[in-house]
Amino acid sequence: MKKKVLAVLLSAAMVLSLAACGSNGGGGDDAASDSGTESSEGGNKGYSFQMIVKSFQSTYWQAAIQGVEQAKAELGVEVEANGPANESDIADQVQMLDDAIEKKPDGIALAACDTKSVVDSLSKALEAGIPVVCFDTGVDEAPEGSVLATVATDNVAAGAVAAENMFPVIEEKVKAATTDAKVRIGEVNQDATALNIQQRGQGFIDKMLELCTGAGKKVAVVGNEFYVNATEGKVDEKEAEVIIEVGVPAQTTVDLASTEAQKIMSKDDTIAIFGSNQTTAEGVITANQTLNKLSTDPEKGIIGAGFDAGTPQKEAITNGQFIGSVTQSPLMMGYEAIVTLTKVADGESVSDIPMDGYWYTKDTMEDDNIAPNLYD
Amino acid sequence: MANKKAFGGLKGREIMVLGIIAIMAILFSILSPTFRTYPTLVSVLDNSYYITLMALGVTFPLITGGVDLSIGTGLVSYALIGGYLIVHQNVPVAVGILACIGIGLLIGLFNGALVALMDLPPFLATLCTCMITRGLGPALCGGFGVSWPSAIAEAGAFRKIFKFTTATGTVIPVGIISMIVLVIIMSFVLDHTRVGRYTIAIGSNKEATRLAGVNIKFYHVLAYVISGFFAGLAGVAYAATYATIYPGSGAGFELDAIGGAIVGGVSATGGVGTIFGSFLGVIVICLMKVGLPFIGLQANWQQIFTGIVLIAAVLIDVVKKKE
Repeated sequence: MKKKVLAVLLSAAMVLSLAACGSNGGGGDDAASDSGTESSEGGNKGYSFQMIVKSFQSTYWQAAIQGVEQAKAELGVEVEANGPANESDIADQVQMLDDAIEKKPDGIALAACDTKSVVDSLSKALEAGIPVVCFDTGVDEAPEGSVLATVATDNVAAGAVAAENMFPVIEEKVKAATTDAKVRIGEVNQDATALNIQQRGQGFIDKMLELCTGAGKKVAVVGNEFYVNATEGKVDEKEAEVIIEVGVPAQTTVDLASTEAQKIMSKDDTIAIFGSNQTTAEGVITANQTLNKLSTDPEKGIIGAGFDAGTPQKEAITNGQFIGSVTQSPLMMGYEAIVTLTKVADGESVSDIPMDGYWYTKDTMEDDNIAPNLYD
Repeated sequence: MANKKAFGGLKGREIMVLGIIAIMAILFSILSPTFRTYPTLVSVLDNSYYITLMALGVTFPLITGGVDLSIGTGLVSYALIGGYLIVHQNVPVAVGILACIGIGLLIGLFNGALVALMDLPPFLATLCTCMITRGLGPALCGGFGVSWPSAIAEAGAFRKIFKFTTATGTVIPVGIISMIVLVIIMSFVLDHTRVGRYTIAIGSNKEATRLAGVNIKFYHVLAYVISGFFAGLAGVAYAATYATIYPGSGAGFELDAIGGAIVGGVSATGGVGTIFGSFLGVIVICLMKVGLPFIGLQANWQQIFTGIVLIAAVLIDVVKKKE
């Protein structure tokens, strides 16, 4: 009997470890198998690229890797992907970038965790004659000629997309607001330090302020100092008819993000809330599990919208808790980064590719240009 | 042994912490009308489950005079592996939960072996396992985040252990019942069993305990096993309360639990502490985490304030010892 149990346990362990190996799709395993296919398919371009992502922290990168796989298959190139455990492990990422340069690839695709820290390494790449394409995040201070193109979401525009789609739903409420009966629109941003979050958060605030002002209302912005100070065209809270409240958690954890959302959603005058990335959108959803205030009908509750995807957010949209969310196209970014590198290696000239933010709802989730980006 | 007390009787420190909780609750309620609502209470409790579980466990290594820094990244790692098995390998949820707790137990055993058998300083040993667990989850799960089945899915029934929503939509924070039961059980273990007595004895005077013929290595390892086991449970509570587990997160969670234990009167140098005190300390931490944003204090100030409260709590200990 004991032996049987042991045998079952051992085989279970084997199956698990095999499965675990199999799922490491984006990692080093692929590089090994690719060098095999390369030699057998001599007709392919056979370029070898290095890719450095910010981390594998969110399922966001799963879609990016899917795009890379697609490009690899189409172009017959080899890509080795690497990334630190955490988006804040900046030194680790710089080391990975340096190692990638040492390997003398035909090109490097980089999503920098910290745009300033990679500048030295980019000079090394320039000296070594290795072309770099940035994706997801651009590096403004890159040495001239080192970064040949940037494939990134226009975050200001993507944040504005959320405001543009939210406003028509709450328009009547906004128009009915007075200084005595203010309405409050909430936004939860993961932090006030990362450039893409700053731009996205500000894009939403600026567009919402513009739309509310266009409807003849005075708007105040309260909450996190960074966003309050960065907003122009606002009025004092007392004079305002519409308040945009910005919450930023003390740390980027799901529990603190949900507390920020709950703080705003608990207020009686709140009519809408936007979570500007996966973590904060899930914070809104978690807060709603206790508050039960979200609705797609502005008369019945708070209008919610999010950003990116993930199973909980997709469920919130199908269940009518969120009216919709904005998705970037990590898949297309991963794909375009490799296509661009291949063009560079072919000697073609390349330019920056700004990617759109796409608004998706219950009805458009299955569309061809949306569905592949909505990772679980 | 400073830890002796009548079962159910409160020590001075615990009464003081209860007072702090009352003052904070009143203060936040006055300063923020939205704080004094039922959903906020539920939210404080939601926040407290995983930290309470970590604190119940880490109290044991703390009382031996050690520490366990691996519980924060550990719990995320265990929840990640458990969730990966459930979502991507289609194992039953119960197996995923057992895996989560089991791996926690093994890492606890590993910590115990490093500290008690190989004489590594606890701070260093568990800092290393903190790094190991931070990488372990992502490494085994392909590096991606994972969401355990949601409350609306049939497989998400385990979430009801912590939060139960009635047919009319009322939310009942039933998790607090499990917490109270566990606090009572672990209080009994610490105060009235050999395991607890020897844990305290190791922290008070290790050499004397050894000379008394106690197998101190065994009980020293056990303290870390208990900590690991509860980190595994905390992983389940975390997965049940929140949506997605993100690889690489969790660093710093252990400080909420250790901070809570210290606020609750566990001595940073070992030998002194109660389970009930640790539990109350965690409630103080959670009240601050939820209350400070509600009264409009912005992110940076929340952290400064929390640090100051911890200093005050440790200072009280130091002053008391001098007396």
